[in-house]
Amino acid sequence: MIEKILGFLDKILSFFEDWTLFIAVMVALTALFVNVVLRYGFNYTLAWSEELVREVIIYTTLIGCSAAIKQRKMIKIDASVQLLPKLKVPLNFFSNLVTLIFAYMMIHYGWLMVAMQVRTHQKTIIMQIPLAYLYAILPVMGVLMFVRTLQVIYQDIMELKGNDIEESS
Amino acid sequence: METSDIIILSILLGCMATYVPVFMCLFFTAALGFVIFTDLPLLLLAQTLFRSMDNFALVVVLFFILCGNIMTAGSIVEKLIKVANALVSWLPGGLGMAGVLACGLFGAISGSTVATVVALGGFMIPALIKNGYPEKYTIGLMTTSPNLGVIIPPSIGMILFSMISNVSLEGLFLTGFLPGIMIMFGVCVYTYVIFRNRTEITRLPVPNLRETLAVLKEGFWSLMLPVIIFGGIFSGAFTANEAAVVACVYAFIVEIFIHKSMKLNQVKEITISSAVTSATLLIIVAGATCFGRLLTLESIPGRITETVLSAIQSPMLFLFAMNVLLLFVGMFMDIISATMILGPVFLPMLQAFDISWMHFGLIMTVNLAIGYCTPPMGVSLYITGAMANRNLIYVSKAVIPFIIIQMLVLGIITYMPDMVLWLPKFFGYLE
Repeated sequence: MIEKILGFLDKILSFFEDWTLFIAVMVALTALFVNVVLRYGFNYTLAWSEELVREVIIYTTLIGCSAAIKQRKMIKIDASVQLLPKLKVPLNFFSNLVTLIFAYMMIHYGWLMVAMQVRTHQKTIIMQIPLAYLYAILPVMGVLMFVRTLQVIYQDIMELKGNDIEESS
Repeated sequence: METSDIIILSILLGCMATYVPVFMCLFFTAALGFVIFTDLPLLLLAQTLFRSMDNFALVVVLFFILCGNIMTAGSIVEKLIKVANALVSWLPGGLGMAGVLACGLFGAISGSTVATVVALGGFMIPALIKNGYPEKYTIGLMTTSPNLGVIIPPSIGMILFSMISNVSLEGLFLTGFLPGIMIMFGVCVYTYVIFRNRTEITRLPVPNLRETLAVLKEGFWSLMLPVIIFGGIFSGAFTANEAAVVACVYAFIVEIFIHKSMKLNQVKEITISSAVTSATLLIIVAGATCFGRLLTLESIPGRITETVLSAIQSPMLFLFAMNVLLLFVGMFMDIISATMILGPVFLPMLQAFDISWMHFGLIMTVNLAIGYCTPPMGVSLYITGAMANRNLIYVSKAVIPFIIIQMLVLGIITYMPDMVLWLPKFFGYLE
């Protein structure tokens, strides 16, 4: 049952992450490249390209974090684990727990910030995007990270169980 | 040092020792510091996290990573190795020299070490062993040479240092070439000396002009990539950001249409994995900015400066102490968190010792690069160890001669600043 739900969530999240990252990076690449061409060819610059690229950086970094948790690519200092391999399992659980707390904080404070931006109606300078939309990425990232971490914890538990069965048989 | 400093430091180190992702260590240390020492709301910290990524300069990290990944997935890397081979492989120990040269060429396009270890190590280690090179030499060479990826520009460490210090990025890039070339030269001389009279090593025949030209022609498009990046940046045609973007577009075009070594559906995969890699790096920048906020609020850098200045008076001693500390830190910490955390702490001290910020940026980058392969904790040791199926002790012994070469170069650039700074001065990036 849990496996089915997590598998279903995984598919949706992966689809969302992959396409967001791909489209965002490609849009930034195209905008900046066109900007270079326009500057040299037509002596003209796109005023909005810099703002757009900054927003792409925010989005790809935060969404990429969720993907990085799933792929276990987060940069960690593994000195203690290298020295004492026995600590790996408990420390892994601890680090996942901390990630859950972080994800919760992002949801909580991100939500507060979105609410604040909705009240003040602030917009970006050039493209006039309401800041509330931009800040909305924080709670979204929190939810994504939370689900991804649960998934990783579930995988770890299953792996441990698998090892136990192998040892006893 | 006050009690509050010690509490903050121990929270940070405690987090880092417990396998928590680095950016969260930084974020939570800042959060706990906020709660314990200030009345500021945590909301401010979440906002700092968000705002720190709202920075146009960061895009260069994403695109240089993308460029490196395109090259590795396609055939540009392979062609660069071939060119390096054609140039030096007929010398005694030539294939080893080709290995370090290829790392240098790859480093001139990619900005990170780990990518270089995997991309070139997987190819060069079997090739060297097949040609009769001792395993110890092979592993040592291919563990340490990828450091050139960080030292030779474009380098992610330098990008971040220029971000926190406002030192000209182009100028800082220029300082990286000379140490890179010195390390390559040192390794080549060492290789020549030990393999001069060894017969068991396959020595390739001297290639004739026609063959060399054929290889150069085949590798032409790959070799143009560093030319575009550096020619563009230093002629003033592109900013570093634009150079990275143009390099990506160029690499895509070459791989898809000229080398025909990449299919269109691979493009999506490469783009996503680059975005994820860059996210893991940039989120550390965000975490470090939060941590930096706490440091400034508690005016910790100022207090550390006072302590250090009262203990050390001579610039020579200061530089030496700095090198030792950075090497040690580089062993545990990745270059991004180390630069972001230690940079702001050290910068205020430099004026008292009359050290230029650009010079210090280079020293810091080279130190942290060497840290990648310093036994017993450097990351590269574990990666090559896993690739070659050797344990840590074996790999640690294998890297010693190469680390000595890199440390000598580090010593030279530390105590002879004019040697590296004349290039940026010549191009007008430094007064």
